[in-house]
Amino acid sequence: MTRRVGRPLVLAALVAATVVFVYPFVWLVSASFKPRGEVFDNRLVPETFTLDNYVQVWREVPMAQWLGNTTLVTVLAGITVTLSSAAVAWGFAYFRFRGRGFLFGLVLATMMLPGAVTLIPTYLIWKELGFVGTLTPLWAGNLFGSAFYIFLIRQFFLGLPRELFEAAQLDGAGNWTIFRAIALPLARPALVLTLLFETQAAWTDLMRPLIYVQDSDKFTVPRGLKALLDQYGFGGEWHWEIVVTASVIATLPMILLFFVGQRHFVQGIATTGSKG
Amino acid sequence: MTTTTAAPVAAGPVAPTRTARARSRRNLWSALLFLSPWIVGFLVFTLWPVLYSAYLSLTDYDVINDPRFIGLENYRDMAADPKIALALTNTVVYTVLAVPLHVVGALGLALLLERAGRSSGFFRTAFFLPKMTPPVAVGVLVLLLFNGQNGLVNEALGAVGVQGPYWTTDQAWIKPALVLMSMWTIGSTVIILLAALRQVPSELYDAARVDGAGFWRRTFAVTVPMISGTLFFVVVVNTIAAFQMFTEAYTAFFGSGNTTYANEAALFYVIYLFQQGFENLNMGYASAMAWLLFVIILAVTLVQLAVSKRVVYYEGDQK
Amino acid sequence: MSTRRVGLCGTVAAAGVLALAACASGSGEPTQAEVTYGSDAAMSGELTVMGFGTGDDVAQVRYDRATEELGDDVDVSLVEGDLDIQAFLSAVAAGDPPDLVYANRDQIGTFASRGAILPLTDCIAAEDVDTGQFREAASGQVTFDGEVYALPEFNQVQVTMADSSLLSAAGLGIEAVNGSDWDAVTQATSALVRRDGGALSVIGFDSKLPEFFPLWAKSNGADLLSDDARTAQLDSPEALEALELAVAVYDAQGGFPAVKAFRDSADFFGEGNQFATHTLGAMPMENWYVNVLNEVSPDATLAFDTFRTREGEPLAFATGSAWAIPAGSPNAAAACRFAATMVEQDSWLAAAQARADARAESGQVFTGLLTGNADADEEIRSTLVEPSGSPVWDQAVEAVYEANENTFSLPANPADAEFKAAWQDGVNRVLNGQQEPAEALAQAQEEAQEALDDAWAEWDERSDG
Repeated sequence: MTRRVGRPLVLAALVAATVVFVYPFVWLVSASFKPRGEVFDNRLVPETFTLDNYVQVWREVPMAQWLGNTTLVTVLAGITVTLSSAAVAWGFAYFRFRGRGFLFGLVLATMMLPGAVTLIPTYLIWKELGFVGTLTPLWAGNLFGSAFYIFLIRQFFLGLPRELFEAAQLDGAGNWTIFRAIALPLARPALVLTLLFETQAAWTDLMRPLIYVQDSDKFTVPRGLKALLDQYGFGGEWHWEIVVTASVIATLPMILLFFVGQRHFVQGIATTGSKG
Repeated sequence: MTTTTAAPVAAGPVAPTRTARARSRRNLWSALLFLSPWIVGFLVFTLWPVLYSAYLSLTDYDVINDPRFIGLENYRDMAADPKIALALTNTVVYTVLAVPLHVVGALGLALLLERAGRSSGFFRTAFFLPKMTPPVAVGVLVLLLFNGQNGLVNEALGAVGVQGPYWTTDQAWIKPALVLMSMWTIGSTVIILLAALRQVPSELYDAARVDGAGFWRRTFAVTVPMISGTLFFVVVVNTIAAFQMFTEAYTAFFGSGNTTYANEAALFYVIYLFQQGFENLNMGYASAMAWLLFVIILAVTLVQLAVSKRVVYYEGDQK
Repeated sequence: MSTRRVGLCGTVAAAGVLALAACASGSGEPTQAEVTYGSDAAMSGELTVMGFGTGDDVAQVRYDRATEELGDDVDVSLVEGDLDIQAFLSAVAAGDPPDLVYANRDQIGTFASRGAILPLTDCIAAEDVDTGQFREAASGQVTFDGEVYALPEFNQVQVTMADSSLLSAAGLGIEAVNGSDWDAVTQATSALVRRDGGALSVIGFDSKLPEFFPLWAKSNGADLLSDDARTAQLDSPEALEALELAVAVYDAQGGFPAVKAFRDSADFFGEGNQFATHTLGAMPMENWYVNVLNEVSPDATLAFDTFRTREGEPLAFATGSAWAIPAGSPNAAAACRFAATMVEQDSWLAAAQARADARAESGQVFTGLLTGNADADEEIRSTLVEPSGSPVWDQAVEAVYEANENTFSLPANPADAEFKAAWQDGVNRVLNGQQEPAEALAQAQEEAQEALDDAWAEWDERSDG
C-alpha cells in the first residue's frame, strides 16, 4: 500500500482513537458548564448552559494562588530533573568504566521498591533538613535526577552514532564540551520529552503536597482540589459542579503548554528524520 | 542493598592501547563527575529509606510506637497469608495482559501518527490528554464508561451486536476492565516511541522501498529493529509500573467515599500493601511485602535485560 | 565494583542510619498527666488542626466561635481536606503531630489502642464537657477500654426511602419495604422489579449490601461485635439469616452485578436520580440523601420511613466524625478547648440557625441537623425545624429524627479496619457468587477474630506494661 492510498485510512483510524482519548475531557468540560442538577446527565451539549461555576470557583477558592504555587513547583521540577538526568544519563552512556553496569542496575532498582514504604523515611529526611511545610520537597528531589528519565535519555544517547563524539575527542574537545555542544543538542527530543513528562507529573502530583504542605496558601492545584472535594462531601452539600469546574481550570494550562511544546520533540537529528 | 550486576548493554571498548589504562582512570573520574548528582541523591534520599524499610521488614512497627525487632516473622506470616497469593496473582495477570497491550497499542498509534502529516500535533495532544486530566475525574468517568447497564463501552459493543459484560461489578470482568482502562494513559509511551521513530534514518526506508518491501515488511524489517532500544525501554518501564499498579484501581474500587465496593479481583499487590501499612498500621509487614515485590520485579527485569542483549540494536555499538 | 568501595558505601550508610534512626524513634510523648488543661488557663501558641475544613456555614459558624473562645493569642491553622492517613502518620512518625485531628469515628479505636491519641478524661473535666449529652451510639464509638478518646461531631443515620407512585401501583405501602416484614420485602421486590429485554429497567428493592450488612444483622438481633469489642460474632445464625435475606433480594433481580451496575449508572446527585426517573422502588439510605433529593427533585413522588427491625422498631446505625488529640500534641490545652467548643450545644444551635437561614433564603426546606449531641439535636429540632407545608418532606424529617433516637454502633475496637474488611470481603464473596453465605461468614469470622486477638494482645501488653 502506498502513502497516498493509505492516508485517508490513517486519518480515520486516528480520529477514531482520538474520540476515545478525548471523550473524558470533553465530558468534563461540558459538565463544567452545567448547573448542579445536570452535572452527571452525560449530555455532551449542556441542556442549561451556565458560566456561574467558573465565577463561583474563582470566588470560593484562591485558584490564582494555587495556580501560582503549582507553576513555580512545576517549572523548578521540570528544569532540574531534565538537566540532572541528562548529565547522569551521559555518564552512563558515554563513559566506560568498571562497575558501570552495577551502578546502572542500582538506578533501575530504585524504581522497583513501592513508594508506600519509603514515604515515611523520606518524610523524616525532609523534616531533618527543615523543609516540611514548604514547597521545597515537592521539587528539590529532582536536583539529583530521576531513574525513569535517566533511563530514557540514556537510551537516546546510546542511539547516537559514536563516531560523532570520537571525532570531537580527536579534535581535542573535553568531556564537558562534547556533552554540552554535541550530545545535548542531539538529544533534544529526549530532553523535551523529559521536560514535558515531568511537567505533567509535577503539575498533577497529589501525594507530595498532601504530605508536606499544610497551609492552604501553599496548596498546589491538585491538593486544593482534594480539599474542595472533601469539604463538599458530607453534610448534605454536594457541589460536584465546583469540583468539575476546578478540574477543568487545573487542566487547561497543561493542555495549552503541551500543544505548544510538543512540536519540539518531533525534530529528530538534522541529518535524518523521515518526513511525515 | 545488593543487586546482581546488570551487565552494560553496549559492547566494551576496542582493543586497548598503551594509554588505555590511564584513560580509563580519567574516564572513571569524568564519569563520576557526570554521575555525581545521582550519587549524592542516592546517598542522601534513597539509601537510607531503602535500608530503613529493609530493617522495618524485620520488625513489628505500627508507625506510632518504636519498631520492635521480630526477625523473619513478617516473612513467615506472608507465606501463610492467603491474600498475598491472591494479590500477587491479580498483579501478575494484570501485568501479563497490560504490558503487551500497552506496547503494541502505543506502537500502532505511533506508526499512525508518523503518517498523519500536518495534523499530527493535534492528535498527539489528544492522546496525551487523559494523563493530564485529574485522577478524581478519571475515576468517576471510568465507572461511567464501563458501566454494565448503560456505559458507553457496552453501547458500542451493542451496536455491533455483542452483549457487553458487567465490567465494573462482575468479578470476572474487573481486571479486563482495568486493563482497558489503563490503555487510556499510554499517551506517554506513544510519544516516546514516536520520538524514536523520528530518529530512524529515512534512507533505510527508501532502500527498503526500492527493494519492493510493503508497509508490513518495512515495519518489521526496518522500523522495529531500528527502535528496538526504545522498545526495550518501554517494555521494562511499563512492566515495573504494571507490577506497582495502584492509583487507578484504588480510585475506582477502594478509595474513600466511593460506592463501588472493594472486589478481591481488583486487590493488587500494592493496594494490599497500602492497606496493611496505612490502614491496619502494620508497617513492618508492609515493608516485608515491599521487599518481596522488589525481588520479583528485579528478577523479571533481569530476564528482560538478558533477552534484550540478544535482540537490541544500538547505533552506538561497535560492530 | 571493588570490595573497598562497597565497604565505604556501607559505612556511610550505616552512619546515616544510626543518625537518622536516633531522630526517628519516639521523642518522649507527653502522657495525659503532663498536660495542663483548664477552663481558666489562658491559651496561647499555635493550634494546627488536621482533617477539618470550613467549607460550609455549619462548619464556619462553629469554627468562628471556637477561635473566639481561644482568644487572640492562639494562632489557629487548618490543614484543609479530610484527614489523610499518610499525612497524619508521617507527622506522627516524625514526632511532629498536629495539635488536633478531625477523624472518622471508626478510626478512633485503632488510634487509641496504639497510643496515637490521648484519653480525654482530664480534658473533659477541665473544659466541663457534658458527656451525658453525647448520643449513646456515638459515645460507644469513641470510648475505648473505658475511657473517652474523642468528642463526637456529626451523626449519620439511615432511613427507608421509597417511590410512592411505584408502591401504590403495586398496591403496596411503605411498611412492605421498611424491613419490618422480610417476606413482604421479598414479595415487594418481585412485584416492583421490571426488566426490559435482558436489562433491568426498575430496581424493585436495594438492600444496599455490602455496606448495610450491620444494619440488616442488627435488625435480626445480631450484634457483629461483642460489647467489650473482643469477640467477633459474624457467623451467628441471626447474622447469617440476615445476610441470606439481603442477598436473596438481589438474586430475585438478576444478581448483584446487574443491580449494582444499574445503580451506578443512575445520575445519583442530579435531576435524573433513581426516584425522579422511577427506576427504584425502595432502599434504606443515609439521611444526607434527603437533602440531595429535596434540592434536585422536590416534586418527586416519595415516601419515607425509618428502617425497622423485624419487631417493627425503628433502627439505624450511627456513623460520623469526632475530634481527637494526638499524643505529643504541642498544644493539647488549646486543642481541648477548641474541640469542646465545636461540639457544645450553643455552637450547634448557632450553626443550625445559619444553615436554616441560608436554606430559607434559597426557598428550601431546613431538614434539621444531626449531631453527636442529643440535647443540641433536641433544641434544634424544637426551635428551627418547621413544617414545610409538604407532607412528604415532613415525613422525611420525622423519619430521620426518629432513626436518630434509635441508633446502635459497633464499639470502638483496636482492629477497626481489619474487622470491617473481614465482613465486607465476606459479603462481597457471596454477592459475587464465590461462596455460600454460611461459608463466607465463617471465613470472615475467622479473619476478624484473628485480627481482634492480635490487636487486643498488643493493647493488653501495652496497658499492663
